Formats: sequence, structure tokens, C-alpha cells
Amino acid sequence: MAKKKREKKVKYIRGHGISQARLSYEIHNLKRYQNLEHYKDVFYQCGKCGTCRTVYKDAYWSCVCPSGEFGKFESYYLGGKNLLVWALTSNKLNWTKKVAKIFYQCSVCMACIEQCQIPEIHSFAGEWLMAMREEAVKLGYGPMPEQQLYTKNIMEEKNPYMEKHEDRLKWLPSHIKQTPDANLAYFVGCTSSYREKTVAIATAEILNTLNIDFRILNDEGCCGSPVYMTGQVEKAKNLAEKNINYFKNAGIENIITSCAGCYRTWKDIYPNKFGFDHGIDVKHLPEFLRSKLKNGELIFDKELKMKVTYHDPCHIGRHMGIYKAPREVLEKIPGIELIEMVRNRHNAWCCGSGGGVRSSFKEFSAFAAKERIKEAKETTAEAIVSCCPFCLNQFKNNIENNEIQAFDLSELIRKTIL
Amino acid sequence: MSNNEIISELEIVVGERYVSDQPELTYLYHYDFITAEPEGRCDIVIIPGSAEEVQEIVKIANKYKIPIVPWVTGINFGSIATPRKGGIVVDLRRLNRVLEVNEDDMYAVIEGGITWAGLQGFLEKYHPNLRAGITWSPPGTGVIPSCLCYGMFDLGMIGGSGAEFINGLEVVLGSGDLIKVGSCSLSNYWYGRQPLPDLAGLFIGWEGSTGIVTKASIKLWPKLPFREDYTGFARTVDQGFPVLLKLSKAGLGICDLLLVNFGWSQSIQELYEKNVVIDAVKDKKPDCISLITTQAYTEKQHIAQCEAIIDICNEGKMRLLSASDGVEGVKPPPVQYWNFWNFTRGGGGQWIGSYCSTRDVVKYYNISREICLKYGKPPQFYSRLMFGGHYVVARSNVNFNKNDPEDIKTTRKILQEIHEAVQKLDGVVMYKPPLWAVKYYKDKTLPSTTRLINKIKKVLDPNNIMNPGQGIGED
Ligand code: SF4
Ligand code: SF4
Repeated sequence: MAKKKREKKVKYIRGHGISQARLSYEIHNLKRYQNLEHYKDVFYQCGKCGTCRTVYKDAYWSCVCPSGEFGKFESYYLGGKNLLVWALTSNKLNWTKKVAKIFYQCSVCMACIEQCQIPEIHSFAGEWLMAMREEAVKLGYGPMPEQQLYTKNIMEEKNPYMEKHEDRLKWLPSHIKQTPDANLAYFVGCTSSYREKTVAIATAEILNTLNIDFRILNDEGCCGSPVYMTGQVEKAKNLAEKNINYFKNAGIENIITSCAGCYRTWKDIYPNKFGFDHGIDVKHLPEFLRSKLKNGELIFDKELKMKVTYHDPCHIGRHMGIYKAPREVLEKIPGIELIEMVRNRHNAWCCGSGGGVRSSFKEFSAFAAKERIKEAKETTAEAIVSCCPFCLNQFKNNIENNEIQAFDLSELIRKTIL
Repeated sequence: MSNNEIISELEIVVGERYVSDQPELTYLYHYDFITAEPEGRCDIVIIPGSAEEVQEIVKIANKYKIPIVPWVTGINFGSIATPRKGGIVVDLRRLNRVLEVNEDDMYAVIEGGITWAGLQGFLEKYHPNLRAGITWSPPGTGVIPSCLCYGMFDLGMIGGSGAEFINGLEVVLGSGDLIKVGSCSLSNYWYGRQPLPDLAGLFIGWEGSTGIVTKASIKLWPKLPFREDYTGFARTVDQGFPVLLKLSKAGLGICDLLLVNFGWSQSIQELYEKNVVIDAVKDKKPDCISLITTQAYTEKQHIAQCEAIIDICNEGKMRLLSASDGVEGVKPPPVQYWNFWNFTRGGGGQWIGSYCSTRDVVKYYNISREICLKYGKPPQFYSRLMFGGHYVVARSNVNFNKNDPEDIKTTRKILQEIHEAVQKLDGVVMYKPPLWAVKYYKDKTLPSTTRLINKIKKVLDPNNIMNPGQGIGED
């Protein structure tokens, strides 16, 4: 057990979970994205203390774990999962389909991890939640049947929505101007292409209004996030390779994403997990827009009187640390009043769509979404705004009787500049 | 009878979703995952949603005469929530509401499974002027078990132990009957246990072997406008403790008075046991670190109280740092976080935690210190003066690597040695005792007292199904 100071290169998203009383850091020398063996001396450090069930200290100690709050039994919380991993890796318990199901009934939203006070768990538990899915796949217990189905479609038709690849660009209106030799690509993603087309349209129109030279690549395919997140690393790698080659060969040097999952996959998973150092600069739309606001290129012409609340997508928030950019852009829109939900930023409650849960655990997924919608309504906001078409789609599917509206940030911006 | 038959009956009570005998679910309930006590066995786990459901579950357990263990978070340093004889673990987490807060009489009526996080969050949101005592256990631990097992809070100096915070109870007895204890048994008020025969004692300190508490009223306290948290340093516990004793008898708005040794303070700095100072005294480190919290209603009163505290500490050569001087680090955390207990990076910890006379604390410390040093473990000690200085809690913590059987063995030895040695000081009584300690006290108590305990247990739990194997009654 090597002792060392906090490793600079280790991605460490500072949350409020870890105590201010900390005077020294003595944590294992761990790397990210390793197999279970690599983390084996950490699992049993978990004391099943339950700190990972609620926000630590602030936000009224509210619940954070959709999996636990829905599943109820201890095994569904992070503490339970850690100790199950310990049991499975030390032959105290046997792998079964039911064990695998526990690990899949989790959106890997990382809200629990943010709260845990054990530095190694706080920094690395996300790695073994994923490694367990990989293990389940190796042993034939994963992915779940619905996930297998969408994976098949992704491998054949490049999208998880059971749609045809040839229909991918059907959303694209003729008035969108593209620059054939642009080195900037708008990576639309499957959800914006097939389900939340207004996000794709709004994004393309915003880029046109800002006179940005960009193009959309005809043969863009799924980034692989739904495949990777369900433990199917080899298949996801394959998709990554295809995407990277295609984009590189097309001369792309910069990518803008709409979807939080695509962003994280391109920016973090491709190079850091798969080892594909593609060298393409990837920006999520709000980051890009913030820079345009700062240099004065983005100007809001119209007022948009609306009380909104912002939902942090897990894949750009806890996974990638983007909390400020969307808020800074939102707050600059004239007329917008941003009211935060009690659980926000690193403590945000997951919308319940990611990690493959929406396809395989419908009731659980809807439970998570409804909990977030309820929280959004409590702020008295008229709309939930997010920066991810998958979150948006999840909200729209779960909002009842127009109780609240849901938008992507791009949709609001489009209303104020066109 | 098979598990399947019992499960079918239980499913009728709580629904299919909340009962299971699947190993990937029961595994988390078979052991506390912290102590060096042996593992147990959980056959069935069930999560009821109301007191009525708890009653039905207890009736089914009686019918089949299978053990039943009340459970909230299941981490307890005496391993009390570990099912020693198998059976049904009743996870109370769905009973997690605050049912009422009476601001005039300052109490909260809470359900059996509420955690400290749940209670604290509710008060912060809806009653910010009131506070509950905060235990230094993690936020996910249960409020009611903490009170029933004599846990202690950061209001120990004014309120005593958790047991003294209890105003009233609603309990499902081992027989399945539901009873109420305290003023709530006669009225809608839950203000106290007086002046009726105090039946709360039938459930406090019984380790869940007489009934399952489904509701309780616990005392709340006003948040006063002025507060100061001091951290005091003295060279040794021998030198520092008398200063605290003096403070405890001086009033001065002190709501919490706590002492930890250097070893314990190292654990809270998230250091790794392998790299710390083992013998602080030999190393000339301040081995007595105290936390003194005072509060007041007016500024004038506050200044006078603080001055008096400073004077007493100066006289006793205790150096003080104050939180309001900007020394944020000395402000105690609102709850204990698990990392305190991960000193070995092995996730194991247990204590010999005792109530004792204020006369014996220093002796207790020195005895436990010697034993820890003998085994090469940094001595960790923690003591809290309670209820205006009427008694004291003394605790020796031992951390270990729960993945290392040798370390577990050594820890057991250390704990038993400390226990035996401190028993030579008259009046040291362990709280949340594991089975081996319960047996020790049984042998020590007057036989007629033991007989009475056994009789009571039989009346309340005729089939001995309530948390059996913990040594209570004729177990
Ligand atoms: S993961 Fe961390 S917070 Fe959760 S139970 Fe384990 S130690 Fe506690
Ligand atoms: S990752 Fe999210 S859903 Fe999964 S255990 Fe943690 S908080 Fe719960």
C-alpha cells in the first residue's frame, strides 16, 4: 500500500464532500480506468456508514442516490456496492445475474462518490462501478437484454434508437449553412439527431448566426457512450476508432457537442480509457458559447422573460467538472431568472436516463426523473434547462400535464438571437 | 418450514418489493462491516413501511419462532445489529419521517428508521432555530438506536446521554403488541416520560431484544445566538482532564466538553496509522486535546463566560485556540465521518466504550494506553463529560484492517485486555457491549437483578425471537 501525496494527474473533482478538516493527503497510488484487481485494497475501506446516501453537510442533507432510494436495500447504495465488490473479488459471494443487475440498476451518476469521505473512494469509486460492468460482460451476465438490443442497432445502424442510419440527417433544414472545408465539426449525437431535433437545429442556427465555419459529417455515428457505459468496452472501442478515423480523415481539428455523454466520451473516454489520443479539441456547446460571450461575438438581441432552473447533466458535471459555463451563459440572457434547485452542481440529483438505465430499468428511470421534476417545480421555475438532449428527452417523457417546461440551453439562446 | 413459505407471508404484509432472501441483498445485513466481532447470518431482509407492518412481521416471526433483528444502518461498535442466530433483519429505513416538531416544548416526534442526516436536514429546513444533539457517528446512522444504546451528542453537557433525550416511545413488543410510553400514552403530547411509571427503561439499553421502536420523541434545544468553540491543548491527559472537570462544574454555558488524545486526533486528520506518532507522550506531543463549546443568549453573557473559560484553562496550563479567531480547523465537524475510522486504511474499528466515574478517567486512559503501546498500536482515546459533569464517557478506539485476519485477532486481544484491565476500576460499565462483554456483566450483577431482567425479557418477548444471541435474558 504505497503512500503518496495527492497525484496531480489524477482527475479529482473537488466536492464539498471531503471535509475541510483535512490536513494531509495520504492516498493510494491509483490510476484511473483500471481493472478490479488494481483497486482491491480500497473496497473494504468502506464502512457501510451511509454518508454516500445524502448530501454531505449542505442542501439539507438531501438524498443523492437514485439507485438506493429506488432499490431501498443496502446493496443498491454505493456502500453496499463496494462491499459486494469486496465479497465477489474475495470469493465470499458468487457472481449471478442478480448480482449483475444490482450494478446495472445504477446510472453511474457519481453523486454518491462525491459525498464519501474516504479519499480513495471519493476519487476512484466510479472506476470500479464501471469495472464491475466490464466484469459482468466478460462473465456473460451483462449487459441487460434491452441494452444488448440497442447495442446491436448501434453496431449496425450507428444509433441506439432502432432507427436507420440513412435517416440520421433528416433533421437538417436546408437553410443551415455549412462550410465544406471547415475544420470544426458539430457532433450532433444520436439523441439530437433522432429524438430532440430542435436541439440540433438550434445549435446549427446559433453557429450560423455567429458566422462560425462548421460542418456536420454525413457519416457521423454513435459516440459509443451507451455501449461503454454498459461495460462493453471492446465494442465501444471499435466505435471510437471508427469515429476518430472518420473525423481525422475529414480534417477535423475541433468538435462542438450538444450531448453531455458524447462530450465526455470524446474528451475523456477515447483518450484516457481507450488510449486513443485523437488530438481533436472537444468543447461542449456552453463552453464554446461562454467564450463567444466573453469576446463579444455572442450578443443577445431579445429579452426572454422566464424563471428557470438549471439541471446539471452528470456527464458534464460530476464526470467532467463543467458547472460554471452553462450558468454563466444562462444568466447573461436578458430576462432570465435562474433559481437553483436545492441539489445542484456536484450534488445534483441525476435525471435517471444515463448508464443504460432508461432502456432496462424503466420504472427506476422514471422515478429518478420525477424526483428531479418535483425538485425543479419546488423552485417555482417555469422551466428546467439543461445542456444535454438526453436529459431533456428524459424530462419531456416524464413531465405530466405541462407541470413545468423543459429546454436545452441552445433552444433558449436561439430564441434570443434570431 | 421453508424460507419460501415465510417470504410469501411477509410479501403479503409489505409487498414483494420489500422482502428478500437473495444472497446479494441479505449479504449486506449479515455483518456490520466494521467491528472485529464475528459475522452473523441474515436469512431474510424486510423493509416495512409502517408500524402496523412491523407488528405483522413480528407476529409472523412469532408464529414460526424465527429470530428478528431491528436494523437501521447496522454499524454499531458492539455489533449489536448483527443477526447472531440468523432470521429476519427488519430494515427500518422506510420509517424515516419527522412526524411533528413541537417548538414550544422543544421536541421532535420521529419514526424508527430516521437517520441523523434526515433529522438534521429537516430541522435546518423547517426549524432552523432548534437543534438536535449531533452524534459523532456518520450521518447515515439511526437517531433512535443511538438514543436507545446510550449514544452521546454534542449537547452531552446539558442533556446527558441519548437515553436522556428520549421523551416517549411507540414500540412493537416481541409479542407483536403495540404500546406507547410517556406522556404520549395519555395525550397527543410527547413532552416527557414523567410522571407515569417510566416504561422507557424496558427498551433503553436492551439492544433491541424487547421490542422494535417505531416512533420516539426526542428533545430539541434552542440555537442560541452566541457560540464559541475552543480547542484546548495540554501536555498530558493527567494534566488536562482536571481542567475540564473544573469547567464542567462551573456552568459557563458549556454544552459540550470533550477530550481526545493525540492518537485520536491523528486519526481525524486522515493520517495513515502506519505513518503516525505511536507514543505521543514519549514524543513530547500534546497528548490532551479538548473541545469546549459554550453558548449564550446575550453578548455580555457570552463575553463573561468566555473570559471565565479562558481563566480556568490558563490556571490549568491549557492553551486555547478559538474557532471565532479564524482557526476554522479547530471547529468540530457536525458529524463524524467515516474516515476517522479508516485510520488503518483497512475499514475496521472497534472500541471499549464505557460510562464511568469522573474520578477514573485518567486511570482508564493510562491503562488502555499501555496496552495499545504493547501491541504497537497508537493509543486512541476519547472522553466526554456528561450532564453538567455528573458522569463521563471514556472510549479507547482500536482500528484495524478488516481484510487481515491477523490484525483482527490482535485487535480482539487488545480490546479484551483493555476491557479486563479497566474493569478493575470500579464503576466502568461498557455501553453497546458485544456478547462477550454482556456475559461479563451478567456474572457480575446481583443474581436477583439478572433474574428480574430475564423475567422482563420473557414477558416482552415470550418466544425469545427479538435479537437473540446478544446475551440479553436467558440467551
Ligand atoms: S462508500 Fe463511503 S460513504 Fe458510502 S458507506 Fe462506504 S465509506 Fe461510507
Ligand atoms: S452512481 Fe448514482 S445511482 Fe449509482 S450508486 Fe452512486 S448515486 Fe446511486
